[in-house]
Amino acid sequence: MAKRSIVPFGPQHPVFPEPVHLDLVLEDEVVVGAVPSIGFVHRGLEKLVETKDYKEYIYIAERVCGICSFGHGMGYCEAVERVMNIDVPPRAKYLRTIWMEMSRIHSHLLWLGLLADALGFESLFMQSWRLREKILDMFDLTTGGRVIFSVNTPGGVLKDVDAYMLHQLLQTIDEMEQDLRPVSDAFLREYTVGTRLHGLGVLKPEDAVQLGAVGPMLRASGVPYDARKLGYAAYGELAFEPIVLTDGDSYARCELRLQEIFQSFHLIRQAVAKLPNGPIAVPVKGNPDGEYFMRIEQPRGEAVYYVRANGTKFLDRFRLRTPTTSNIPPMLELLKGCQLADVPLLILTIDPCISCTER
Amino acid sequence: MANIRFLPFAHTALKNLFSKPVTTGYPFEPAVYPERMRGHIQIAIADCISCGLCARSCPPGAIQTNRTAGTWTIHRFDCVQCGSCVNVCPKKCLRMAPGYIEPGPEKWSETFTRPGFPPLGQKAESSQQPAPAPAQPEGKPVNDSSACVYCTLCAKKCPQGAISVDRAAKTWSLDEQACVGCGVCVSACPKKCLTLR
Repeated sequence: MAKRSIVPFGPQHPVFPEPVHLDLVLEDEVVVGAVPSIGFVHRGLEKLVETKDYKEYIYIAERVCGICSFGHGMGYCEAVERVMNIDVPPRAKYLRTIWMEMSRIHSHLLWLGLLADALGFESLFMQSWRLREKILDMFDLTTGGRVIFSVNTPGGVLKDVDAYMLHQLLQTIDEMEQDLRPVSDAFLREYTVGTRLHGLGVLKPEDAVQLGAVGPMLRASGVPYDARKLGYAAYGELAFEPIVLTDGDSYARCELRLQEIFQSFHLIRQAVAKLPNGPIAVPVKGNPDGEYFMRIEQPRGEAVYYVRANGTKFLDRFRLRTPTTSNIPPMLELLKGCQLADVPLLILTIDPCISCTER
Repeated sequence: MANIRFLPFAHTALKNLFSKPVTTGYPFEPAVYPERMRGHIQIAIADCISCGLCARSCPPGAIQTNRTAGTWTIHRFDCVQCGSCVNVCPKKCLRMAPGYIEPGPEKWSETFTRPGFPPLGQKAESSQQPAPAPAQPEGKPVNDSSACVYCTLCAKKCPQGAISVDRAAKTWSLDEQACVGCGVCVSACPKKCLTLR
C-alpha cells in the first residue's frame, strides 16, 4: 500500500478566481479523498434582510454574486411577488426571461474562458472572453450596468427596452452565434482539449441524483431536469427542451454548456418575437406576509430562494441555496481516483461560484 | 475521441493575426458610454424639496439631506450606483449619468445647497434679518373638504402611501409620520383643494 499524504490545495490557486480550500488525501499521485472548507468570503448578506426594507433588499440580493446577479435579483423578486400575490405584467416577464438568458450566455462564456485558461490554451480563453464582452455591452445598453443590473423590482422591472435596443440585441446574438462556432469547434474537436477532458471525472446518473447535483452537472450525466421547465417568468410560453448528454465526463459538461449557449440564443429570439406591449411593472403597496420557496435555473444550476415575511417592511428570513452548494458533494466524488494534476480542472468543471455559496 | 480534428483553431488564430485589436486605446481614446449607463448621480438642486426619500431608500446610506440647511450631500465613494434614489425621487430631480467619478486616495463627498438657502460654510442671518424664503412651499398637505371630490388621485400618487381616501365615507386622512411633505399630492389634485402648510 502506498504511503498516504495530505496536500493542502487552495484557497489561493492560479486556476481559481475565488477562494476555496481542499485537503487532498493522496496515495502517490492519486487522490483518494478530499475535505473541503469554505468561508473565506462570507459577508452575511442574508442577515441584512432583517434591517433593510424588502424593496431595498433587492439591491443587496443581486450583489450576492457578480455573475449570477440578475438571477438572484429575479429569484428574490419572484419569491416576494408570490408571497404578496402580485401578478407581474407579461412584458416584464418576457424582459426578465431575455435578461436571464443573456446572463446564462455570459456565465457560460466566462466558464469556457476559465476552462481554456486552466488548460493553458490562452488564445481560446481570450476568444471566449472577447465574445462575452459583446453580451456585457448589450447589458450596458439595455440595463445601464455590465455586472449589476438593478432592473428588477417587486412587481416587474424598472427599465423598458425599445425597438432600437431589441434590434441591436438581435444583431449582436446573430454575430455571436457566428463567432461562437469556431470557438465551439476548438473546444469540442481540438486534440489537446479532447485528451484532457474525455473520460475525466465521470459522474454516473444515479450518483448525480443521490449526491444532489444540479444544472449542467446533472444534465451532462443524463438526468433531464431543468428548473426553467417549471414555467416561471415567460419560460412556460417558450418552446424548448432541456439539453441532456449521457457521458457524464468533463467533456460532456463542456459540450452541454456550449449547447446551452446556442439554446439561449434561440430562447432570446423567441422571447423578442413574442414580447408583448404594455406596462413593465405594477405598483406594490403594503408589506408581505407569508412565506414562499422559489426555484429558478441559474446558469450554474438550480438555485432556491426562501422568503418568510411577517407583515412588516422587514422580512424575517431570506435563504439562498446556490447551485455550487449542491454541486460540492458530487465534486468530491469526482475527485476520488483522479490524478493530482487533474484536480484544478475537475473543480472547475462544476463551475464553482464561491461568493454565491458563502453569501 | 472520434470527432477530433487537427488544428481546428488555426483558421481563427490566423484571422486574428491580420485583424484590428478588439480592445480600444483607453485612456488615449475616450470611452463611449451608452445613454442608460449608471455611472454617477446628478441632482437638479433647484427642484429638490429636501423630502429625504432618497436618503431613506439608499442601501449603503451614501446620501444625507438636511431640510433646515437646504443641503443634499452624497458620499461618492459609498454610492453603489443602484439607482434606488432616482426611482423614489418624487420630484424627479435625480438622475444617473454616464461616466465614472475620478478615483482617489481619499473618500470625499459633495454637497449641494438649494437656491434660497445660505451657501455651505456661511451661517444663516441673525433673527432680525429673516432667512430668504425657500424655493418651494413646505409643510404637510391640508385638505379643503368643501372642494374635495375624493377622487383618490392624491393617495395614488403619494410616494409614501401616507394618504388614505374613502370615497364612500367621504373621508381624507394623512399619516403625519409617513408624510415627507414632497407636495406630489398637491400637484396631482385636480380640484386644487390641497395645500402645504
